[in-house]
Amino acid sequence: MRSDDHSATIDVPHVESKAVIKGKASLLPAAAAVAARPVGGWKKGVAIFDFVFRVSAMVAAVAAAAAMGTSDQTLPFFTQFFQFEASYDDLPTFQFFVIAMAIVASYVLLSLPLSIVTIVRRFAAGPRILLLFLDTVALTLTTAAGASGAAIVYLAHNGNQSTNWLAICQQFGDFCQKVSGAVVGSFIAAVLILFLVALSAMALRRV
Amino acid sequence: MKGSAAVELAEATRAPSAGINRGISILDLILRIVALVCTLGSAIAMGTTNETLPFFTQFIRFRAEYNDLPTFTFFVAANAVVSGYLLLSLPISIFHIMRSGAQNSRILLIILDTSMLALLTAGASASAAIVYLAHNGNAKANWLSICQQFNSFCERISGSLIGSFGAVTVFILLILLSGMALSRR
Repeated sequence: MRSDDHSATIDVPHVESKAVIKGKASLLPAAAAVAARPVGGWKKGVAIFDFVFRVSAMVAAVAAAAAMGTSDQTLPFFTQFFQFEASYDDLPTFQFFVIAMAIVASYVLLSLPLSIVTIVRRFAAGPRILLLFLDTVALTLTTAAGASGAAIVYLAHNGNQSTNWLAICQQFGDFCQKVSGAVVGSFIAAVLILFLVALSAMALRRV
Repeated sequence: MKGSAAVELAEATRAPSAGINRGISILDLILRIVALVCTLGSAIAMGTTNETLPFFTQFIRFRAEYNDLPTFTFFVAANAVVSGYLLLSLPISIFHIMRSGAQNSRILLIILDTSMLALLTAGASASAAIVYLAHNGNAKANWLSICQQFNSFCERISGSLIGSFGAVTVFILLILLSGMALSRR
């Protein structure tokens, strides 16, 4: 652009200006290289945090599913009116809980490679948007499992007078404890996946 | 000459992506209004449940309201909070239509949308668990299904779940749209 103007008007300073322009041009790629590296540096940190949170969310989801799945309790006695055995598959909500947490745990495991891709390729938006969408779906599933489990656990602890639903925790203490712990684990997984979605959103920023 | 041509080319490539960003923001606003209607409808449908049976027996109550079950109280509260949030986020969405390049406000909106999605899903799925129990009961826990006595109460609480779950789907779409708009140049 500048060389064109100079070539249209003046001849003698043309040589000097070309040398000056070449000198400036040789400086520009170096300057650009120095400027490009720290500009996207924070994205790599965000992606590493994302990976760490992902591993923790997987651990929490697996723990919740395992705690609920192994929550059998058999009482050493029995009476005429009450059952003497309680297991998670007596309640369809708890069956849904185990299946949903298993699905979420396997999704998080399968998304670890995608997370590593976003660490390596900091500026690619495609994998990040895919992770954002899938993480949102996983958050919905985890929250659904946790909340429905919490509703049943609340009923098991307190019962309900209006509907004549008796609290079963008084007979089955261990079962109740394990099931409540599983619900807490699923809420921890939900909070971690919420952080994952927030991190993906922040990393999507155009720098 | 070369300079002005280069600037024109850059503007030409930027114009269609700015137009798509504007379209995404308009779709965002429309979906937000749909979700507002859904959650408000759910809250009102659950909150106005009141059924009184014309008879009574010794063992079964003769009146059913939403606040007999704490889970339904939580459902009404969650839906009310989410519809209030959606109403307050409409101005931000309109701002995004006008300024398609805003980044920080979009990130804030994504984070708030995700929190509201979690709250809404929690309320909806907890109520779904109780509605399932109300329809079917549970033999092992000796929990009787109450739907056989309270028909219209049961229909109302089941129907109010539909609006809530529809709003959950809309929220997922909203988050996806915001993410797409955020990453486009």
